[in-house]
Amino acid sequence: MSRYIIRRMGFMLLTMFMVSVAVFVISEVAPGDVARHILGQFATPEQVELLRRQMGLEEPLYVRYVDWLVGNDWRLSRLVGKPLRQAEVGGRGEKAWWAVMPDGTLAQWRMKEGELIESWVAPDGTKGEEPFDGWVVDEHGEETFWGVDAANHVVLWKRGTSGAQIGPASAGRAMSESSGSEYFPIRRGLLRGDPGISSRTNRPVGPTLIRRLRNSFILAGIAFTLMMPLALFLGILAGLQEGRLLDRAISLLSLITTSIPTFASGVCLILLFAFWLKVLPGAAVFTGDMAPFQDTKLLILPVLTLSLVEVGYVVRMTRASMVEVMNASYIRTAFLKGLPYGRIVINHALRNAMMAPITVIMLHVNWLVGGIVVVESVFGFPGLGLYMLDSALFKDVNAVEAGALVMVALAVGTQLIADIVYTFLNPRIRYGE
Amino acid sequence: MEIIKRRKRLDAHPYIPELKELYLDNRVTRREFLRMATLLGMSITSAGAFLAACAPAVPETAEPSAVPTLKPSEAPTVKPTGPRRGGTLTIASRIQRVDHPARITWMAGANQFRQVCEFLSFTDFDNITHPWLLERWEVNEDVDEWTLYVRKGVKFNDGQELTADDVVFNFQQWLDPEIGSSMLGLMNYLSPEGVERLDAYTVKLHLSTPQIGVPEHLFNFPAMIVPKTFEGDIARQPIGTGPFLLEDYVETERASFVRREDYWQNGADGKPLPYLERLVYLDLGEEAAPQIAALQSGQVDNITMPSAETWQATKDLPGIAVQTASTGETFVLRMRADVEPWSDNRLRQALKKCMDRQKILDLSYFGQGILAHDAHIAPIHPEYCEKSIPAYDPEGAKALLAEAGYADGLTVELTAPEAMAGPAMAQSLKESAAAGGINIEIKSVPASLYWDVWTEVPLGITHWTHLALGTMALDLAYVADQEGAPAAWNETHWVDEEFSDLLQQADRTLDVEARRQIMCQLEDIQMSRGSVGIPFWANLWYICRETFKNVKAHPSSYDVLNEVWFEPEAA
Repeated sequence: MSRYIIRRMGFMLLTMFMVSVAVFVISEVAPGDVARHILGQFATPEQVELLRRQMGLEEPLYVRYVDWLVGNDWRLSRLVGKPLRQAEVGGRGEKAWWAVMPDGTLAQWRMKEGELIESWVAPDGTKGEEPFDGWVVDEHGEETFWGVDAANHVVLWKRGTSGAQIGPASAGRAMSESSGSEYFPIRRGLLRGDPGISSRTNRPVGPTLIRRLRNSFILAGIAFTLMMPLALFLGILAGLQEGRLLDRAISLLSLITTSIPTFASGVCLILLFAFWLKVLPGAAVFTGDMAPFQDTKLLILPVLTLSLVEVGYVVRMTRASMVEVMNASYIRTAFLKGLPYGRIVINHALRNAMMAPITVIMLHVNWLVGGIVVVESVFGFPGLGLYMLDSALFKDVNAVEAGALVMVALAVGTQLIADIVYTFLNPRIRYGE
Repeated sequence: MEIIKRRKRLDAHPYIPELKELYLDNRVTRREFLRMATLLGMSITSAGAFLAACAPAVPETAEPSAVPTLKPSEAPTVKPTGPRRGGTLTIASRIQRVDHPARITWMAGANQFRQVCEFLSFTDFDNITHPWLLERWEVNEDVDEWTLYVRKGVKFNDGQELTADDVVFNFQQWLDPEIGSSMLGLMNYLSPEGVERLDAYTVKLHLSTPQIGVPEHLFNFPAMIVPKTFEGDIARQPIGTGPFLLEDYVETERASFVRREDYWQNGADGKPLPYLERLVYLDLGEEAAPQIAALQSGQVDNITMPSAETWQATKDLPGIAVQTASTGETFVLRMRADVEPWSDNRLRQALKKCMDRQKILDLSYFGQGILAHDAHIAPIHPEYCEKSIPAYDPEGAKALLAEAGYADGLTVELTAPEAMAGPAMAQSLKESAAAGGINIEIKSVPASLYWDVWTEVPLGITHWTHLALGTMALDLAYVADQEGAPAAWNETHWVDEEFSDLLQQADRTLDVEARRQIMCQLEDIQMSRGSVGIPFWANLWYICRETFKNVKAHPSSYDVLNEVWFEPEAA
């Protein structure tokens, strides 16, 4: 069993790897340019090109992939000639990259009026700024310097040329970003726990993704725990009463709820409960991070919409499976043996009948978390699905990658759980050698 | 109240006496008089005083009907009891990535930071521009030297005072190619060296070509004034002179603002504005449905930049007031004049003849707009020259096609953004063009992707927002740059020598009548050989809960909330 689990884990990693490559390639060939998107419709080609360089988009695809996966600070620190480190300075809760001096002082540089300014933070927390004079003369006789800027790039500055590009205005982050000759965005790499910066928001992907994932988990979790027992119960009931009135009623209802797509049922529910009865809010408006806990009313309609379609599906699955088992010859034998009805159903029929529904249910855990994009857009619910959709439209590779990998992990993980549950339901199933 | 300095500057500019004559002769409307007078540095109070003085002579109803304008919808009939203080206005809006305000590209971010940062001028709800962070401006007779007098005593929310240094700093930022501000394209008549600091409160602009639109340009949405200590990220360094302080900014989720105690303008009660205590912007995604539902169930009070569909869905909701504004916002059917087949003017004209304007307006905007005639200047602009609206003429189009060698018909691809009027306009055009022998294949792209290709595709539908002055869109989109290549925003690559010369002339003509004469010619050129088909001018709306008073629809969709107050229903 444990060997089986390990093997499945291995497959999971392989799947994740393949998915991450696929997402990278797809977003590369997909139409649209993220730099143009950030700068807007009125940017000139030169501005777009500069931003592409600053974002590292001009590098070959495989270099970007490796940087994204394992980071590039170890590679870039060779250019700077000093170790690079992420540190939080200034208490904004965001870490920035700094070059580490031999004495432990952290340093960043920026251009001001053609000269470099070094800002430093000593190990004891004192800060300062001073003009920098560490230019290195390269083989062309130009004074150059590799350093770290305030926007997480390793930059090659050239004395004179950089200054000439600056022009009259000297402040502005864009200025310090754009005054260098070459740029390499510093990345820590996914394998080292950093999914990168979202190009849509210019903030780290991690915290947003976790918050969105949590929201989706809340929605999906409630829908799941409410719906599954109900659906299984109704399905079993219908299966046992095959052909009778109760079966017909349950089957008809479940057929109706599965065949109405969520965007239609969601809108109907909004009309009914929010517009006419005015008892529930019609949109999942989150006024703060803790909104779903403070105002649970927000969740009722999305959960209901989600549950309706799911209940019908699982009911029909369970019913079909139950009917099949109840018609099996070993059940007839049990009846002929004179076993009580309850024991036949619970001890003999149920376990076999549960195989198909468990598969469906487990497949749907994944769907519930990431695939509920329709429900999320109908209600404006800030979940993972909507996040992925928006990010994909923006070509925000880092966000899409992180979201996709979370979904793969969920999909493979839930399937693994389903496989393990099978062995308890049906002891004939054995994994491994 | 100190909003407007009551100085007697009736004759700030040599042209003003003449303008007064024009007004008395009934040759300019009240609106145009106000606009021109304030443009030339006359304070709005003096202009208003002048108008009041001659009110009996010129009754307001006597406005020439040459300018068809929509009356803004009536304010709620409840008699206002005067402004109250307090209350939170919650607004459904996207929350986008924002760093340098000069580089803001999307309107949502501009509307949020407009609460923190202000502008040198203010184009009001009637499309009249007057000084804001400036006390006044002066312009020489050649309209190429503008002197800006900075308002004294205005403080940034970090305590610094606004001075000429800050103004110069902002100009330098806008004009720096490396910042990437769209102000650079707009202010192509100004170089960084042309910005001169005269003293601590005076800045002089030396223009390379005359331009009457400087005050309007100063209210363009990226022209927010930041202090000279600004480092490039407004979300992290939210310092401005505006009435609200940034509290929280979470991209794609929410932004909240809280009232500033020491704002420079006073309200009607003698205490500093604003009346509202808090503003909250919430991102409900791109879809309209959750926004409408949230408005209906009271979770938000306002939907920014509502689409025509949103207007349709919310206009009759109880407790919701809808203000309407007529604008110069439009959807331009643009043809690349430098690529086949649109390099042939006969084909451009043929496609224009295929536009059934009323049908496009009805189908794509519920009839909410004014029909247009393919020249990029709207009736709301002072110098608009009225022309008859071309009729739908498929037979004429066929004849032109035959003449150009496409007797058997022409098949073209139309790139339409999947937003606002785009899809419906494309579909309507496809149907009405079939009769004229043009077979349109619609290529729908997400609106965000459209902006990747907006200057590239041969045929497309581009959404243009309202610009305050009639010459502004023409200066941006239908001229060449100094090297003779089409300017950065010239999406159709259409450059016409006669047109450019006339436009330059218009840009230095202060006299509205004279400028209207030039405009008539410019409009004729655009109609007879231009590169765009413009079916209609769209209305826009401000949809807000009735408990918020003094809200108005701004023709540029700007959220101007300084003087909005909240009046609970119980009161």
